[in-house]
Amino acid sequence: MSAQTYKKKHETTISGELPDKMTIYQDCMTTFNESPVNAKRCRILISRLLRLLANGETFPENEATTLFFSISKLFQHKNDSLRQSVYVAIKELSKISEDVLMATSSIMKDVQTGSPLIVPNAIRSLTYVLDESTAFSAERLLRSAIVSRDPAVSSAALITSYNLLPISEATVKRFANETHEAIKDPKEVLGDNPERDYPARSTFITQYHALGLLYELKKNDKLALLKIAQECFPNWVLKSSIAKVELIKVMTDLVFRDPSLFESFQNQLEQWFASRHESVQIECAKMITSFAMAHPSYVSSEFFASTITLLQSMLTVPRPPTLFAALRILNKVSMVSPEKVVICNPELESLINHSNRNISTYAITTLLKTGTDKNISNLISTITKFIHEVSDDFKIIIINAVRTLSLNFPHEWKSILDFLIDILKNSEGGFDYKNSIVEALIEIVSFVPQSKEPALENLCDFIEDCEYNELLVRILHLLGKEGPSTSQPSLYVRHIYNRVVLENSIIRSAAVVALSKFALTKNDSALNESIISLLRRIANDKDDEVRDRATIALKFIESSKENIKAQDLIQSKYSYDLSSLEKKLTTYMSSNEDSFKTPFDASAIPKYTEDEVKAMELKRKQEQLTNADLEGINNEDEEPITKRLDTNTYKGATLDEHEQDLLSTQYIEELLSIEEFKVFGNLINSSKPISLTESEAEFEVRGVKHLFKEHVVLQFNIANTLPDVALDNVSVACISQLEDESQLEELFTIPIERLLPSVESPCYIAYKKPEGIVLDEFVNTLTFTSRELNPDTNEVYEGDEGFQDEYEIDSSVLSAGDYIKSSFVSSFDTAFDELSNSEVAVYNLQEDLSLQDVTNRLITSTSCLPLENSQNVSDSSEHTLKLFGKSALNGSKIALIVRMVKSSKGIALKASGKAEDATLCSSLVNGLL
Amino acid sequence: MGSYFSSMFDRLWGVNKELRILILGLDGAGKTTILYRLQIGEVVTTKPTIGFNVETLTYKNLKLNVWDLGGQTSIRPYWRCYYADTAAVIFVVDSTDKDRMATASKELHLMLQEEELQDAALLVFANKQDQPGALSASEVSRELNLVELKDRSWSIVASSAIKGEGITEGLDWLIEVIKEEQL
Repeated sequence: MSAQTYKKKHETTISGELPDKMTIYQDCMTTFNESPVNAKRCRILISRLLRLLANGETFPENEATTLFFSISKLFQHKNDSLRQSVYVAIKELSKISEDVLMATSSIMKDVQTGSPLIVPNAIRSLTYVLDESTAFSAERLLRSAIVSRDPAVSSAALITSYNLLPISEATVKRFANETHEAIKDPKEVLGDNPERDYPARSTFITQYHALGLLYELKKNDKLALLKIAQECFPNWVLKSSIAKVELIKVMTDLVFRDPSLFESFQNQLEQWFASRHESVQIECAKMITSFAMAHPSYVSSEFFASTITLLQSMLTVPRPPTLFAALRILNKVSMVSPEKVVICNPELESLINHSNRNISTYAITTLLKTGTDKNISNLISTITKFIHEVSDDFKIIIINAVRTLSLNFPHEWKSILDFLIDILKNSEGGFDYKNSIVEALIEIVSFVPQSKEPALENLCDFIEDCEYNELLVRILHLLGKEGPSTSQPSLYVRHIYNRVVLENSIIRSAAVVALSKFALTKNDSALNESIISLLRRIANDKDDEVRDRATIALKFIESSKENIKAQDLIQSKYSYDLSSLEKKLTTYMSSNEDSFKTPFDASAIPKYTEDEVKAMELKRKQEQLTNADLEGINNEDEEPITKRLDTNTYKGATLDEHEQDLLSTQYIEELLSIEEFKVFGNLINSSKPISLTESEAEFEVRGVKHLFKEHVVLQFNIANTLPDVALDNVSVACISQLEDESQLEELFTIPIERLLPSVESPCYIAYKKPEGIVLDEFVNTLTFTSRELNPDTNEVYEGDEGFQDEYEIDSSVLSAGDYIKSSFVSSFDTAFDELSNSEVAVYNLQEDLSLQDVTNRLITSTSCLPLENSQNVSDSSEHTLKLFGKSALNGSKIALIVRMVKSSKGIALKASGKAEDATLCSSLVNGLL
Repeated sequence: MGSYFSSMFDRLWGVNKELRILILGLDGAGKTTILYRLQIGEVVTTKPTIGFNVETLTYKNLKLNVWDLGGQTSIRPYWRCYYADTAAVIFVVDSTDKDRMATASKELHLMLQEEELQDAALLVFANKQDQPGALSASEVSRELNLVELKDRSWSIVASSAIKGEGITEGLDWLIEVIKEEQL
């Protein structure tokens, strides 16, 4: 009734300008407090007020409170439309005023006796006024509303309950039965309410809401969820496609918790493949692919292929949302196993020119990943045409995809390079875009040595006409770093010097540093001379910084002939570990014991050579790629309902990579600060922390192995998870498996004196070892005296003797991998052939593992760096892994090729290793698994 | 035409104006029960009022806008937001609750000090007379120190909202006073 009258007249004009805040406030005050209330005027005022709020205006708290109270006075008027506006106003004001609970009784009364038109609205506004102490008073109302025959009422009650969960879980938990009923009742019967004057057609949306709420209520109960899911399987149960999508999400959660359930869902999923709702099909495909990527062994390749076929068929529909969703899934699959998406290439190619840029960009990036050696160059030429037409954001996405290509297909560097150079020089774009191109180029230069010279030459051309200081400085640095080792260093000198003549002081200073590096070029005294004379000229520059840099560079160059150290200063051979450098510097700055008389000691900070830095960078990139994939799969849904995919459930207990790095640096620092270990000399290598217990154990133990020249220290970090129990004198008893033959001699143990609940502390065991490589395996037992704590004071009860106890933890192995640091080499095959000592070993694995599992295990156990993209298994039956590393003891190189074949009997491995150090080689190859 | 005349009469009698009446009192005194006794003449089951209930009723040709505000400690501070334009306050006391008479008295006097309520008439219901051990109206009056009230028309009536006793008597008095003083 009133819904129609509302449309009739509009006395206020809706102009583009926002009404004045104070005018509205004053109008509200007078109009709402009038007696009797003029419903229509109030409604119009409320909507103007809402418009203000929606545009981000806000009121100070006292005004918001007054506003709220005057609005609450409108409850005396029984006009439905006015009441609805009041609810909306309460909802908005609940954000800025604490007093909305005053409307609770009035809203609850509307829920009970209001007209059918406003009951759902009243229920929904309950969310905003209830708090923990008042929620229970709405319990009966909500319960009966959930089972109401009116879908609008039921939906509103379900949603309100869902939103009340964080406020009053205990209350909502009691709605489980009603919610369950609401899933099964499609609530088709309408029209039993003659007062309703809008068309009655059920959308069955209550089923979706009920399923969402029930999931939240039961999410910790796997069996209950499974039962709910199975109840919903028959086709007639769920009428709403959104509810089906929700059901699939619940199933996704279930299979990630218990992968063995997947098989029982497979039939149902196959049925849904034929669903007439694309959203259901998409959700199925999403679930199967994300699950298959996390647990490949549970999904048969036929089933996976049929999923891909389903997605492929969606690539030809005319509806952009469906297209986009299908592409997004395919793109994710292509990050992990591009070969499975190759069959979609024809469809993908036809989408490159799609008028929707989101779709075309996704199609291209997917194609770039599924690209094979054959079509890469073709593809790149297509992109070259396309890239000029899209916006910068898309360009950057494409550049990043091309960048990963250069890592995956190093031998395609030529066409990739041409492409990058072409767009760098010829396309329009902002700084971010150009910067991403330059970054891609820098990456190619450092990881694909053949590309160095052509890339540098082209970059030289580019800097002749570049408007971004930041880019110029980066390129100049790159030229300085790589230029001197090229065949024609003088070529670059000319370009760099041009910059000194033409550009501003920032670039001039960068150019000076780059130039000075050329002075060290081997066997070219003429070049050396010219650099010196150039620098002398620059030393008269009008800018301080440029002059200073030139003078310093000249000094270094002069003294570099006799002094090796000066060479290091010009072209440094190593860089510091930045995070520990930063930490050390902060402590140095904050401690300041003798007003900085003692110079900063940089010797304890780990240094990395260029190869090591590259190795780390490559490793980080590889990990980023795979992590990005996994994260992409896990967090693909923004809505809170899938946040439930508890991070711990299937991402594994592994710490975040960066966190782990920090952790190991922290462990090393703790270790080095202990007096007893200072006599051991420099720390040679530390392993990553390895968990030696289950993650839910009473005591969580992480082991770290530290190698010194003649000593080994085993560190055990023990966390006490028991409440109210303290552990005294905690140590780990390590018994060598080799018994008497062990070459290690136990020196001393540093136990933990007292370990309080939820505290993590380290204990150490030190061994003396002969120089060189010593392998061993230890059986570990945790020993301690446990004492009960007084929960009030958190202190041990007096007179409690405690009792001795032991706790088994996993054994730790001192393996050849602990003596190796990962390292980078640009051409693995040549490096492999060059190494002298070789060793071959063959293994047979009976366990049911995928080749990817084995590969991952090998990479961790050898601590080598996988090269040529061999860390990704693309064929499920055979794979070749290439590993490269350096001895932590003497820096000798070691290369390893592992061929693996998977058959029905298990996995056969053939490892051939080559190394400068024969003992290391044989220990590594023979102790792989 | 007819409606024109009726509105003329209304204006003459002051009926078109709605009279705001507040029902206040400690929690559990019976305010909500009294409100619905007045409106529908029946006893309804009530829950503690979080916020307020408002009903419009016509009594002896007068349109009354009756606000029943919750009496819990947490809600009492909000009473003052509803004082404006109030013609009368009905203060309800649980006559059996001897322990909290002092609190009730304190709240009552505090409220009456408010500027906005200077002209409002006061009707006190000594409620729950049906219960054994209930104090009589004069006892309640003593406990609440009503005699101290100056410059205000007030009255106390023994009532039982459950049985419907005293409610109309009280309201009759209130309407008479309002008609005399304010219309």
